[in-house]
Amino acid sequence: MLKDFFRTFSSMIELEFRRLKHDRTEIYSRAVQPILWLAVYGPIMGSIRAIPTGNIPYTDFITPGVLIQSTTFISIFYGLTIVWERESGILKKLLVTPAPRYATVIGRAMASGIRAIFQTFIIILVALIIGVKFILNPFYFVLALVIIFFSSGGFAAISILVASFMKTRERFMGIGQALTMPLFFASNALYPVTMMPKALQYFATINPMSYVVDAVRSLIISGDLTNLWLDIVAIAIFNIIMFTLASVNFKKIIE
Amino acid sequence: MEKAVDVRDVVKIFNKNFRALDGVSLEIESGSIFALLGPNGAGKTTLMRILTTQIGPSSGHAYVFGLDTVKEGSQVRKLISYVPQEMSVWTDISGYENLLIYSKIYGIPKEERNNIINGVLESMGLHDVSNRLVKTYSGGMIRRLEIACALLVRPKILFLDEPTIGLDPSARKVVWEKLKMFKKDYGTTIFFNTHYMDEAEIYSDLIAIINRGKIVTIGTSEELKHSVGGEILHFILSENGLHEDVLRELEGIEGIKDVVVSNSDVTFVVNDAEMILPHIMTFFNKKNIFVRRVSITKPTLDDVFLKYAGTRIDVSGRLSEVTHVRRMIRRG
Ligand SMILES: Nc1ncnc2c1ncn2[C@@H]1O[C@H](COP(=O)(O)OP(=O)(O)O)[C@@H](O)[C@H]1O
Ligand SMILES: [Mg+2]
Repeated sequence: MLKDFFRTFSSMIELEFRRLKHDRTEIYSRAVQPILWLAVYGPIMGSIRAIPTGNIPYTDFITPGVLIQSTTFISIFYGLTIVWERESGILKKLLVTPAPRYATVIGRAMASGIRAIFQTFIIILVALIIGVKFILNPFYFVLALVIIFFSSGGFAAISILVASFMKTRERFMGIGQALTMPLFFASNALYPVTMMPKALQYFATINPMSYVVDAVRSLIISGDLTNLWLDIVAIAIFNIIMFTLASVNFKKIIE
Repeated sequence: MEKAVDVRDVVKIFNKNFRALDGVSLEIESGSIFALLGPNGAGKTTLMRILTTQIGPSSGHAYVFGLDTVKEGSQVRKLISYVPQEMSVWTDISGYENLLIYSKIYGIPKEERNNIINGVLESMGLHDVSNRLVKTYSGGMIRRLEIACALLVRPKILFLDEPTIGLDPSARKVVWEKLKMFKKDYGTTIFFNTHYMDEAEIYSDLIAIINRGKIVTIGTSEELKHSVGGEILHFILSENGLHEDVLRELEGIEGIKDVVVSNSDVTFVVNDAEMILPHIMTFFNKKNIFVRRVSITKPTLDDVFLKYAGTRIDVSGRLSEVTHVRRMIRRG
């Protein structure tokens, strides 16, 4: 059972590595937008000091937010590409292998984490060049990568779930935006939650992206780990719910 | 002997009222090559998806080597391999990498992986291109790679949905030669869907013709063609018309079912044209009737289809489907 799961899971991850080995243009082109946030928006907003971020420079404050927005975007689109595979025979064939179906779904979702990690390296490199100061603790850094990897799987599972209700692939782009943007703006990515209107604050507390941003921010920028456990538990619950829903609904994709 | 496939009264209803399969029953012996022949939309893919455990029937049962495809789906999946109608390989990695990923999904032990992969690459004639990206493959190479994926595990039964759709005749031939060789070596049962009559006729042991969700007839291609009626022998003579007495004598020859004369053309309906031809020639010789030309026409599976389904397998629909599949293959 568990062996079957890991076998399928690791095959899906390996597939993604091999794809990236052959072609990384998507990763690079998707890095343009977050770089603009960090290089243009960050310094401008920071210079007018409109947003209280304690003793952390504004660009440093938003670096984890911009990073997570960008990796989430990648994951959500990655999950949605499953509607393409539905039209090809790839999913049909995978479902006829002895691989457990939930392992196929979770493996597919987690494979997006590989892309997310690549993206993370690019953005952190750019942030370093811009002058963002990171906490130099290898253990914290690795833990942050693990959190980014796992939460990407959860976000990809959201979009696999959405894809199982989609009839055509035409609305694909719009749906990707419609999922990501609210998560981004109603989170602590660009400003502290306390600055938001009450209704949005409420949404931010159930917004998984807030927890991911908070965890990563505490590990690589602020070093304040008081909420880390809460964040990790919230992310774990989010992933379990999403993996379950996506697996249960997966049959709909091929019916 | 356990049947490789046993389908009993299977009905599949889509969208609450459309009967894609309307009471299908079928038995296939293990070790044989079976063709499900029918036009576009007949229900071939639907039946194959039920047999490969992707979807369940609305009513009825389907068994693969005695295992229920609904209740024992996970055991069925351990015995079978499947090549869907649509393209089913990843185009942005190499052919070898596709096989490597699948061999891991199938749980082939590490020590054997390389040997098995090289074996199937060899048997599908893909060894030289195995390190190229699949994007750069021709349609025929992609199909052979898909079949190679399906052969990694030496399945007891291989399900092929339109294995040569969209391929040119020479690529089709290569695909079938490789398949026949594999079948000879491992005795795998093969179940394939097709709308090419020649393919069903040449490569299968047993053919079932399906139309609008119903199996209209089943048998070997010889049996099916025999069931249409007889074969046609057509003579052109050097003189016009035949004498009344001669005609009566001809009708007396055993094996001749009917004679039609119009001017110098004489048409016979017979059971076995090759067998009866010498007799008729001798007869004409004896009567000093000179024969200018003889031709034999045998019924085709198209005639069989016409007889049982009341229409011909639509040629125009076929072409548009081919181009559609081609596009899919290109797009990846
Ligand atoms: N998932 C589905 N939902 C609704 N209708 C379907 C579905 N799959 C097939 N059909 C319909 O069932 C009929 C048989 O389809 P199919 O089995 O694909 O035929 P074939 O493979 O012989 O061309 C077609 O009319 C097709 O439109
Ligand atoms: Mg079909």
